[in-house]
Amino acid sequence: MKILVTVKQVAALDDEFELRDDGRDVDEDFFEEDLNEFDHYSVEEALLIKEAAGDDAEVVIVTVGNEDTDDALRTALAKGADRGIRIWDESLADADGIAVAKVLAKVVEREKPDMVFTGAQSADFGSAVTGMALAGLLGWPHAAVVCNLEYSPGSDTATLRRELEGGLEEIMTVRCPAVLSIQLGINEPRYASLRGIKQAKQKPVDELTLDDLGLAADGVTSASRVRRMYAPEKGQAELITGSAAEQATRLAEIIKELRGM
Amino acid sequence: MFSSDYDPENVTRILFQDFPTWMLVVFYIIAIIAIGVFLYGVWAQIRKYRRGVRSGAWSPFWPRFHEMVATVLSHRTIKRRSKMTGKMHAWIFYGFVLLFIGTSIITLDHDITGPLGISFWYGWFYLAFGLVMDLAGVVLIGGLLYMMYRRKWLALPKLDYTRPDRAPGDPDFDRSDYRREDWAFLWTLIIIAITGFLLEAARVVWLQNDPMVWDVRWHAPVGTVISYVMMGLGLSPEGGGDLRMGLWWFHGILALTFIALIPYTKVQHIFTAMGSLMARDPDGKRRMPSADVDAEHIGVNHLGDFSDKYLLHFDACTKCGKCHEACPANAGGYPLSPRDLVLSLRELSKDTFSGATMPAEPVQVIGDGPNMIRPETLWSCRTCAACIEICPVGIEHLPMIVEMRRALVEEGEFDPMLQPTLQSLQKSGNSMSESKRKRPRWARQLDFKVKDARKEPVDVLWYVGDYASLDPRSQKVTVAFARILHAAGIDFGILYEDEQTAGNDVRRVGEEGLFQALAEANIELLDSCDFKTIVTTDPHTYNTVKNEYPEFGGNYIIEHASSMLERLIREGKVAMPVDLDYRVTFHDPCHLGRINGDVEPPRQVLGQLDVDLIEMPRNRDNSFCCGAGGGRIWLPDPPEMKKPAELRATEASAIEGLDVLVVNCPKCLNMMEDGVKGTGNEDNFRVMELIELVAEAMGPIDQPDPDDGGASKPEPVGAA
Ligand SMILES: Cc1cc2nc3c(=O)[nH]c(=O)nc-3n(C[C@H](O)[C@H](O)[C@H](O)COP(=O)(O)OP(=O)(O)OC[C@H]3O[C@@H](n4cnc5c(N)ncnc54)[C@H](O)[C@@H]3O)c2cc1C
Ligand code: SF4
Ligand code: SF4
Repeated sequence: MKILVTVKQVAALDDEFELRDDGRDVDEDFFEEDLNEFDHYSVEEALLIKEAAGDDAEVVIVTVGNEDTDDALRTALAKGADRGIRIWDESLADADGIAVAKVLAKVVEREKPDMVFTGAQSADFGSAVTGMALAGLLGWPHAAVVCNLEYSPGSDTATLRRELEGGLEEIMTVRCPAVLSIQLGINEPRYASLRGIKQAKQKPVDELTLDDLGLAADGVTSASRVRRMYAPEKGQAELITGSAAEQATRLAEIIKELRGM
Repeated sequence: MFSSDYDPENVTRILFQDFPTWMLVVFYIIAIIAIGVFLYGVWAQIRKYRRGVRSGAWSPFWPRFHEMVATVLSHRTIKRRSKMTGKMHAWIFYGFVLLFIGTSIITLDHDITGPLGISFWYGWFYLAFGLVMDLAGVVLIGGLLYMMYRRKWLALPKLDYTRPDRAPGDPDFDRSDYRREDWAFLWTLIIIAITGFLLEAARVVWLQNDPMVWDVRWHAPVGTVISYVMMGLGLSPEGGGDLRMGLWWFHGILALTFIALIPYTKVQHIFTAMGSLMARDPDGKRRMPSADVDAEHIGVNHLGDFSDKYLLHFDACTKCGKCHEACPANAGGYPLSPRDLVLSLRELSKDTFSGATMPAEPVQVIGDGPNMIRPETLWSCRTCAACIEICPVGIEHLPMIVEMRRALVEEGEFDPMLQPTLQSLQKSGNSMSESKRKRPRWARQLDFKVKDARKEPVDVLWYVGDYASLDPRSQKVTVAFARILHAAGIDFGILYEDEQTAGNDVRRVGEEGLFQALAEANIELLDSCDFKTIVTTDPHTYNTVKNEYPEFGGNYIIEHASSMLERLIREGKVAMPVDLDYRVTFHDPCHLGRINGDVEPPRQVLGQLDVDLIEMPRNRDNSFCCGAGGGRIWLPDPPEMKKPAELRATEASAIEGLDVLVVNCPKCLNMMEDGVKGTGNEDNFRVMELIELVAEAMGPIDQPDPDDGGASKPEPVGAA
């Protein structure tokens, strides 16, 4: 019995920042790296299932990223996951969710897990696409934005609740193995102490290349490309106060100003 | 008193006078059994302590022994904050010790040197001895009577054993067994003392016709007075003989029972308190126990993880309640009393570690079972060290709490609110979920550039700290302090975005791995800079850099802002032309006052400000924590509890005409402003940092550096 959890190291932006010279991303001096918040929940969900099963299950953490992303991997391992897999190739530097999903699909074929968890979305780019693209590539059943899950290792189906628009929720049953993208609040993620993170260095991590997965660089092309990143110009706002008559006067003034009268 | 006709050797008390041999044999058998029971008990206790981790806390032995003896003889720790009780305990102590020495002298003379032909318990020595013993008996009884009065009629809340960490109906909710034991102890001791006097009196009645006894009867005045009463009531010499025989056995057996039971009852505090005082770590309140973060296991969640010293501490507690009374968590209704924590652990170790063999399974300490410590109890602590400070027998509650928190943190069992804080500390080295770049941003408010101590040498390196850097209210104080330093011509610099929290609260919350990582990173950074001394406005930073960094190789001279200001004012570098016509009171920060003893510098600064300082009842080492410490500032206080800061604000509000409650710590500032609001006192008095008062008294500051662009436009500082 095995659960595979995909995690991403995301960038947390400072409130003051500068863009990279090529204008396609934020200068990395201006963000701090961290494990994607959603992934704290998906890791926790896997660990809860593992613990309820009397530890008779394996939780494998997978990340696509360079060696800096080891921190995210270690954090997940420190929480209690069994081992990690990190895949990297320079050609993945600008990978979007689709490209990452292509890599992850190969890992899933290799590991043959009974269940795959991803976060509902990433805190930095927020495309919410990686998990569902992975399910599509695998041809597996899937559910997005899962906020409650009943699943015991080895069973053929899982029952889950997911959030819909307008405060609606739906309950559904999926066949397993499946890919589920996990929403915030599904559980209370545990804390990984710094000591635990350091000690997680002893846990096994497989470092794989595209080659190891039987992929070529041109097999993982992105479906999209960022052309420019910029801060949109801010509009102006003014709070109009006073009596109704005063407010109307001021408003009239503003309208005149804007119309250049 | 006795004429020279008598052979002084006959002026003595004949032991076992008129005892048939069988009685003697019976007595010695009972005595030997009693001593055997006593020795077994002592051995079993020592075996219990040795089941903890060896600490070596008793070495070096002799200096520790001397210190302990001085403490015990002076009763210094018992007298603190309770003069009368201390004095009365001294009466009991000295009475008891003298009577014990007396009995030992008799035993020595009769059973050890006597058989070898050396006797000394006769003549003048015997007579003086009797007088001293009578005096000791009176003093002992006097002390015991006072303690009975104190327990019965003073109804002191600190002697109420009802536990804040348990609900009615829980086992041991009011620890009524302890109350019964206290009374049994007092009664037993007083009955032993009284029967001693009655015995003395009965002997005088019985032997009134023996001039060797009668002529010297006044050497034991109390017994003799009672003998007159007995004779007045018509007791004959024969009756006196019978009474003496009855009382002799009663007194003897009671005394032997008392001795036999010492290791099994509260009487053991005689020994455990001495052992505990010897093991006390003078830095126990300043420095949390070191820990190997690479070890398999960290902190305490099993009883056997405690060191032998702590296991002894549990038994040393005299239930005096001083810590219970001083604890801000307990005062606010939180489920923590340092006394009850220690007593729970005492009962737990008694139940599990006293047997001939160790329990098969490790004994869980943290949990909900009887005598286990509940996580919410541990999280209630403010790490203010009020408990350690006042404990008369040297118990170190706070390190125990931190050790148990370490185990909880390792298992991730804590308030979910703490998690974002710890993650922020891991990620960006501050507790406020801010980016590293934000840390020095307060300095933009200055009209001069603060030196970058990473890049150029400075005299004074200012370790700013989390709250002082990032909390908007504290930033005003930080800016004011920068202006004061600048005006005083101090060559100072900061570490800009590379400064991380020093880690005082991280360590106390139990995240030892993170604390050590922060300490190592900070020390590496400090060591790469060129400076002479460190200053900080934050007492938490002050404490940790001063007392905890040496363990990691960081040895620096660090000064708190209050001491530095005091010095600058004394040296005339800070002129304060404006008179502040305020009535103020001063709230000592725990980490400055009680924990590091720096109680005078802030008061000297206030003295220079010409303000009218009225002390709150609890001040200096007895200051009452604002409630921020030990990571509690990161956790919300449940509405049903009284916040320590509110209790403190109420204490301050009792001062008539108070204008300003002066604090001297960024965290106190934060907590006390809330406390003043929470108690509806915001219209009655303000909370201000000492630094702000100094800035106000300096008036508009002229910048000393004419090149400085902002110098021409002086700016008032500190106006909150
Ligand atoms: C989801 C929601 C949350 C709200 N929360 C708050 C709240 O927290 N506090 C609160 O006081 N009110 C709140 N409101 C009310 C809201 O502020 C008013 O509905 C709004 O100001 C319209 O004012 P009015 O009722 O006078 O409408 P009208 O007088 O009919 O005004 C209609 C139009 O006039 C313009 N206009 C009116 N007032 C202003 C103004 N002050 N500034 C600029 N343009 C204006 C706008 O174009 C507006 O559409 C909330 C409304 C909604 C729908
Ligand atoms: S350190 Fe302070 S809050 Fe903690 S137990 Fe001791 S007195 Fe109470
Ligand atoms: S721990 Fe110390 S201060 Fe507290 S009740 Fe026991 S002896 Fe008194």
